[in-house]
Amino acid sequence: MADQSKPFFSVESARKPSSRKPNSLTPESKFWRSFKNSEPTSNLILPVTSLDFSPNHPFDLAAACSTAVHLFDGSSLSPKSHSPLSSFTDVAYSPSFRCDGALLAAGGESGLVQVFNPLSSGQALRRLRAHSRPVRVVRFPRVADKLHLFSAGDDALLSYWDVSTESTLLSFPAAHRDYIRACSPSPITADVIATGSYDHSVKVWDVRMSPDSNQVCTFTHGNPVESVLFLPSGGLIATAGGNSVKIWDVIGGGRLLHTMESHNKTVTSICLGRVGNEGAGSCGESRILSVSIDGYLKVFDFAAFKITHTVRYPAQLLSVGFSPSGLSRVVGTSNGVIYVGKKKVKEVALEKVGGEIDRSLPEPEKRVLRPTHYRYFYRGQSEKPSESDHVVKKPKKVKLAEHDMLLKKFRHRDALVSALNTKRPNSIVAVLEELVARRKLLKSIENLDMNELGLLFRFLHRNATKPRYARFLMGLAKRVLEMRAKDVQSSEDLSFHVQNLKCMVKEELRIQRLLQEIQGMLSPLLVIAGR
Amino acid sequence: MITGGQSLVSSAPAFSNDGKKLLVCTGNIVSIFSTSTGMLITELEGHTDRVTSVIVVPVSGPVSKIMSYCWTSSLDGTICYWDFSAAELIKTIKAQHPIISMVIPSIACHPAESIEKESKLYAFVSIEDTSKLDDKQKALRGQVQLYSLTDSRRVGGLLCETRKSHLIHASKSGEFIGIVNKRKLYIWQIPGKRFRSDEVKKIRLHPTKNLSTLAFHPTERVVAGGDITGRILIWRGFGKKKFLEKLPVRDEEERPGVRGDDDADSCTTWHWHAKEVKFLFFSSDGAYLYSGGKEGVIVVWQLDTGKKKFKPRLGSPLIYFIDSPDPNLSCLSCADNQIHLVKMPTMEIIKSISGIKLPFSFPDSFECSNNEFAFHNDAGLIALLTEDYCVQFFSLFENREISQVQVCERNFQPVDDVTVFVALAALSPDGSMMSTVDVKLPEEGLGGFVTLKFWSGSHIGEYTLSTVIYEPHSDAQISAIAFRPGGPGHSMAVSSSLGGDFKVWVNSSNMPQEGQMHQKLGWKCQSVGSYKNMPMTAATFSADGSVLAVAAENLFTLWDPDKNVLIAVIGNTVAPICNLSFIAQSEYLVSISRYSKPQLAVWNLSKLSMQWSYQISTEAISTTKDGSQFAILVIDNTHGKARKRDRDGIILLFEVENPIPLATWRVKKAKGGGLAFLAPDLLLRDTKYPGEGSHSLLAYINGDHEYVIFDPRGTAEVQIARNARTSQVPDKESEYIGYTSIYGELPEFDMKQGDSISEIPFMPSERPWETIFTGSSHNLPPLTKLCSTFLESLLERRTTTKG
Repeated sequence: MADQSKPFFSVESARKPSSRKPNSLTPESKFWRSFKNSEPTSNLILPVTSLDFSPNHPFDLAAACSTAVHLFDGSSLSPKSHSPLSSFTDVAYSPSFRCDGALLAAGGESGLVQVFNPLSSGQALRRLRAHSRPVRVVRFPRVADKLHLFSAGDDALLSYWDVSTESTLLSFPAAHRDYIRACSPSPITADVIATGSYDHSVKVWDVRMSPDSNQVCTFTHGNPVESVLFLPSGGLIATAGGNSVKIWDVIGGGRLLHTMESHNKTVTSICLGRVGNEGAGSCGESRILSVSIDGYLKVFDFAAFKITHTVRYPAQLLSVGFSPSGLSRVVGTSNGVIYVGKKKVKEVALEKVGGEIDRSLPEPEKRVLRPTHYRYFYRGQSEKPSESDHVVKKPKKVKLAEHDMLLKKFRHRDALVSALNTKRPNSIVAVLEELVARRKLLKSIENLDMNELGLLFRFLHRNATKPRYARFLMGLAKRVLEMRAKDVQSSEDLSFHVQNLKCMVKEELRIQRLLQEIQGMLSPLLVIAGR
Repeated sequence: MITGGQSLVSSAPAFSNDGKKLLVCTGNIVSIFSTSTGMLITELEGHTDRVTSVIVVPVSGPVSKIMSYCWTSSLDGTICYWDFSAAELIKTIKAQHPIISMVIPSIACHPAESIEKESKLYAFVSIEDTSKLDDKQKALRGQVQLYSLTDSRRVGGLLCETRKSHLIHASKSGEFIGIVNKRKLYIWQIPGKRFRSDEVKKIRLHPTKNLSTLAFHPTERVVAGGDITGRILIWRGFGKKKFLEKLPVRDEEERPGVRGDDDADSCTTWHWHAKEVKFLFFSSDGAYLYSGGKEGVIVVWQLDTGKKKFKPRLGSPLIYFIDSPDPNLSCLSCADNQIHLVKMPTMEIIKSISGIKLPFSFPDSFECSNNEFAFHNDAGLIALLTEDYCVQFFSLFENREISQVQVCERNFQPVDDVTVFVALAALSPDGSMMSTVDVKLPEEGLGGFVTLKFWSGSHIGEYTLSTVIYEPHSDAQISAIAFRPGGPGHSMAVSSSLGGDFKVWVNSSNMPQEGQMHQKLGWKCQSVGSYKNMPMTAATFSADGSVLAVAAENLFTLWDPDKNVLIAVIGNTVAPICNLSFIAQSEYLVSISRYSKPQLAVWNLSKLSMQWSYQISTEAISTTKDGSQFAILVIDNTHGKARKRDRDGIILLFEVENPIPLATWRVKKAKGGGLAFLAPDLLLRDTKYPGEGSHSLLAYINGDHEYVIFDPRGTAEVQIARNARTSQVPDKESEYIGYTSIYGELPEFDMKQGDSISEIPFMPSERPWETIFTGSSHNLPPLTKLCSTFLESLLERRTTTKG
């Protein structure tokens, strides 16, 4: 049975506010904090416009930057040996992995769409020519369709390709009235795709319908659309444009469900993330990760329509990616830095293999301990209690600070000196206040010797104007000077401290005057506003 | 009618013979608590005044569980004999005078069964002779008398007469009894067998200071006395001259420390306590002496060497220390109405029986703040401010403590002048929030500090700190805090200060703002108001929360709490207003002024004028939650000092529109008391008031924190058997003895595991004695199995031939 009497309170505990910290950290923000940030070693300087993870193990990463597509290994996120793919004549855009991860397509400023083998270096396997202007978005269908490819560009043309023959199966000329800058294939069917354009509209297309007939569905975002994302159900679409991310119900005919307006600048990219520690293949809850020019990454729970976590980066963010393994999160910036957040993998599987190997090894023979060996005298001391043992616990010793010990023994002056020596304002003020409560402060100040008085003056000089302590410490400084005036006059050291105090008081007076001036300016305004 | 809140520490408790029960004197009754659960088991009711001592008849051996008898004495002048397992009164002996203390020295040598036999049982009682007026300074009111319990009558003469009556202390063996009387210590020797009242011999010892307590060594001729300066004096070998009739030949030098011709071998002095020693207690083997006093520290003295050990931070002055027949259990009574059960060698507190906390004195400048109690009307709870910086939540219906919340984290030391204290506490109407104010007084103008704290919790009594606000009104004192009624969505509170402003606080966690990045939970100031810089002395919200009333000295101001707009200023009372309260379902407000010109005024808010007023000194007020009635507690100082002892207060029940009270009750000790309308306990109503509608009960708590709950509308006294409400008797707990009592229970060892080992198959061959023992020894079947086979193998089988 535990002792039910009150614990010992150290003097500092009286000042501490509540234990609010554990409350502020939700399990979700804990999860997002567990990604350890590091930068990949590649030395890019130009904006990273797009990031895409391979859907297959080991979930390689492709990043479009300048005139090349950089490839990174999925587990270590280090550049691959054949990276970058640089058979582009101009800026490369929008790398996209096929659903099995065996092919990579990318657009470019020249209007050429190229298809590569991401596992080896070399020239493009296929070159798709149809666009006359830069191709900003290239997407393979998400569902098991290995043959086709979508591409769209600044010429407002949406093309549907048969990759193997390099031919256009369908094309939607003038699909939008402005640049197409976003598109997202449906996660449930290979035939449906949503595109977003700078003409503020988002359109959903179905390749099974003839190009003459209209799109399946259209709705207006209200700002140039920077990014479009089909949510996993296939019934919802998230669009990013301007400062807002909007969620639409496609099946319900393009009804606006929610608007998230927590970014302060243009939202540049959104992608799907997942919460849950179980690793790949598990079904954690999905989240929308959005990045913006304002440097914030926000995690948005689209089930509860709530921001659950925010990360700040020191640059403008252009692109974001979340590994399907759930272990890494990458953010591309306008200055070429890719911020990589990696989760620590619990290497359970590896350990298991190791354990099996160990078991086959012959165990080293245990030597019988003899009194000649020093261990003989330590035998049994590191023994752990087994489950059935009844453990008689030693009462825990309370660790006390030195000034607490001295206060316990009513050695008030020594406690004050000990606290002053720690140079921690919190402890010093706590001890001073405890002495006030015991009516012993003035007595202990009277008993301080010269050096200790110097310590006290130094403390007062540094802290007396801090607003939290000011009322108490200012009064104290005045009282100390009154009480120990003779000592101060006789000692050179102390008069130096007093000079310092004087300077501090002058400075404080100046600040106060300034503040009063500001208050004088503000108060008429407030009075007017109040009317 | 429910009464409660009695003091648990008015006199020393006693353990039952098996150490499982603790008999505690609580007012007119003796309450019996279980030591394992700390819950009330039963009560002995029969005395008509305070019970002053309880003595359990010791029984040894196996019958100790069944035999449970005790003697009690009371201020009503009776001595009673009880069977406390059945809560039955067996015998009553009348003494003429109030009994202050009683000891039965020879009880240990008298087995309980033999009471009726030839050896007689005598009790020494200390009485207060009420026939002598206490006006006379020299009157000897205290007497020590002798009663024969067997014959139920007084025998012999007076043993001694003193000015005041004193507690009698007896040694464990029953050989000596003693009292302290100022600077004298009287010891009587009681002849054990063949007791005759005229054979009692007395010696006197003379310490230098006024003694406060004493204790006898259990086996040797050693007596310890504690004096008011904190010294402990130990006389060894006392009474050799008188009691043993040995003439000492040694001269003065060989009796160190003994004064004059005191009858003792030596006297040693120990000094650790800074204040009066309250108790002294020898351990049962006589090796240690326990002492305690106002410091709240038990000091364990090793008797031979004088070495000390301490058990500090008990949080309140100590009064009594009693050991139990169980060697590792003792009990400690504290002045804050708590009894701690202490595990003995380690001095850990394993259980606490807490009564209602007693009042403590605020510093003078804070007398105006009258919110010493905060009631939660629906749950029947009272929140009391305690001296050790806690708020205690006490259930009025169940008469037990619910919980304690430590407001100010500081080690409490009982001191004379209070420098740190919790000044105010307020509960929100739904009980989910609490707000407290703790004050640190300055030392010569330095370092004064006021802290406002907001607490939140899932249910009443379990709070966690949510917000701390340092110096909410700069250095001014806070005169009142109040929560706004209404749902949790509208959590708002107001604090008014004598510095001339009031602040409205809101809980920001209830107002989630879209797009706010770091939502800071907690309370913050929404608005500040003041009226002509006058000190704000009281504040309250109306029942629907739409109006805030703040008193500014003689006036009071009405505000819209949301917009912070002054609506109206009313009133001109004769003295500063101390308390404001709205009458729930009406347009009236009651204001109370105190001190030089006390006034009770009822204001009509629709007409903004005074309805009626009285010039009476009101101590407390409570309004019904629905309806238009209110009750006030009035200090009645018209009768002067003569009536001070008894009923000095009146409770008046008013209908708000009518200045003639509906009902009045006279009460005792009204100073510092409180009043509250409580919602009737659900459990109570179902059983006791079938069919009646809900009407609230009125609770009155007096200055000593004893309380009574009654129905203000009921004409007949509603008598509720208190025993029906006592908590369930704890189940017979398993008994720990020997090894288990020290190390706890051993895990269950499964004896059957041995059987589950599969039998090792073996093939009996033709010559089994050759093969039966082959094989490694750990593979052999048990010998019991082998034996029969082996013996069988030795026998030659004879085929019976029938021919």
